[in-house]
Amino acid sequence: MAIHERSLVDPERILRKERLVIDGIDVSGDWNLIILPRVIEDYDLSFLDEVLEQPEGKTILQCYQCSYCTASCPVHNYWDERYNPRHFIHLARLGLIDELQKRADVMWRCVSCHKCTHRCPKGVLVEEVLKAILRVMAKRGIIEEYPSKKFDKFFLESVYEYGRIEDGELLFGWIEKQGYQVVKDPVLKKPIPFMGGVPEWLKQLAIKPIKNMNIGFLILNAKHMLFHPRTKNWNRFKQVLRKVMEEEGVFAH
Amino acid sequence: MAKSVLVVGGGPAGLAAARTLGKLGIPTILVEKEQKLGGRPILEDYHTLIPRKMTPQQVIGPFIEEVQNNPNVDVKLGVELEACEGEAPNFKVKLSNGEEHEVGAIVVATGFQHFDAKRKGELGYGIYPDVITNLELEQMFSREGKLYRPSNGQLPKRVAFVFCVGSRDRQLGVTNVHCCRYGCALSGLQGTEIREKYPDVDVFCYYMDVRTYGTWEYPFYWAPQEKYGVRYVRGRIAEITYNPQDGRLRVKHEDTIVQRPAEVPMDLVVLVLGMEPSEGTKKVAKILGLAQDPDSQFLVPAEDSGSNIISNKPGVFIAGACKGPIDIESSLAEGEAAGAEAATFIGAKVSA
Repeated sequence: MAIHERSLVDPERILRKERLVIDGIDVSGDWNLIILPRVIEDYDLSFLDEVLEQPEGKTILQCYQCSYCTASCPVHNYWDERYNPRHFIHLARLGLIDELQKRADVMWRCVSCHKCTHRCPKGVLVEEVLKAILRVMAKRGIIEEYPSKKFDKFFLESVYEYGRIEDGELLFGWIEKQGYQVVKDPVLKKPIPFMGGVPEWLKQLAIKPIKNMNIGFLILNAKHMLFHPRTKNWNRFKQVLRKVMEEEGVFAH
Repeated sequence: MAKSVLVVGGGPAGLAAARTLGKLGIPTILVEKEQKLGGRPILEDYHTLIPRKMTPQQVIGPFIEEVQNNPNVDVKLGVELEACEGEAPNFKVKLSNGEEHEVGAIVVATGFQHFDAKRKGELGYGIYPDVITNLELEQMFSREGKLYRPSNGQLPKRVAFVFCVGSRDRQLGVTNVHCCRYGCALSGLQGTEIREKYPDVDVFCYYMDVRTYGTWEYPFYWAPQEKYGVRYVRGRIAEITYNPQDGRLRVKHEDTIVQRPAEVPMDLVVLVLGMEPSEGTKKVAKILGLAQDPDSQFLVPAEDSGSNIISNKPGVFIAGACKGPIDIESSLAEGEAAGAEAATFIGAKVSA
């Protein structure tokens, strides 16, 4: 059977069966199509409890849905209207899991500009609260480990090892973490730019700044890429850092 | 010139007026149609009053005591105003007990009545025992000291407050278009009381706006939400149904933030009742020729006065909930102001 105003019906709510028997009556044919209702049938209130268990999630109760955060949010304003911190907080508080899941693909897009947190009239630490929500979603398996977290991890590893980051390594390392094939030279095991399975858009993204670099800076970068510089006396500081990170449980994650 | 004052109504505003007049040494007649002073909060056993979070006995008790003990105040219980002749300052009033008096001024403090929730049939009040009014919840607290579902006596897992029942509703006619003013704040307080005593009970407030105006914002909105975890959902409950399979109610509404319809299970639903002018208010308005709002029928102050206790009729002062929804402390303040205004009107000299 045809559906009129098809655009108004979410695809996941349409059930179509070749053969359909209800209460022993064969209703295949014209009646083989069912549109599930949009009605919210219950809340999952344990979701909020799990958010509140985390120190970052504590201020979620303070939100009164004014949307000052969303109005300030660059991701919402310039990228995707579905990224809406205010809305995520409402969904998390009532435990509307299917609605959260619908937005799982955009929810990790926070750029951590913290405008939301600085402006919130109720003192909600919005960026932290959203991280707490993401963590509960990850725990429940309704969101994948978000790509930006892979970058965070790589960034941290680099700083931990050398006391500083190296731009080229960070870029290619991130490309590799994204699952693209990176070709490395056999001696130093360093990535060779623009070889391998790097997609075109990423090449363009990298070429632009390289083209605009002055030659001295470009050589410096190439040198750094080959022989990773290290902060002076980093090993001593690294020991302190390790201790702090152990105390804070960073390695456990 | 008559030197006494008649106060009609023995609730918070009437008591406050009579107390002030009595303390000023002015002969005062206080008529109350019920057999007890104190008005709705005392007669109906409210539990906690907003905004001070005190009991009616703590707030109104001292007023009752002072009025009863003041020899200048003549309290007449079970008595109503029947008729009034003449103009200020020589009103000839006739009471329902047959007495006639000459008074120089009248204070009208005839109050309000609660909206009858049965008029909103779709909310199931009177059909489902677990749909109760916020007045009944107050009485549950004050008379029985515990929260339970009337259907089975058990503690509810979830409680829903349905805001604006009998308020801001053109469907009921022009009479109930106004805001009840107290409902949002009282629900915040009742929600807090529930969560304090029963932390495992989830409380939901279904609202269109949260009108905890002025200094009520923190104690009756922010604190319930932030400190006690009362949940606020925007959307007016349109229908309440009963599911015989699990014995729970369903509140039907649209969550306007998610923009999806919802029929969520609840164990106890509390209807937040609007305020209407009492029968006494409408009756006294006719007897004294007082101006009423053409829609709500509440009394309205004189058009040419900025004060809201000056009526359209010289020598008649209006105070408290007969003019529209009001909280207790403002009622008391208006009663005191009306009493003082009546005293100056009859030219009373206050002795040192």
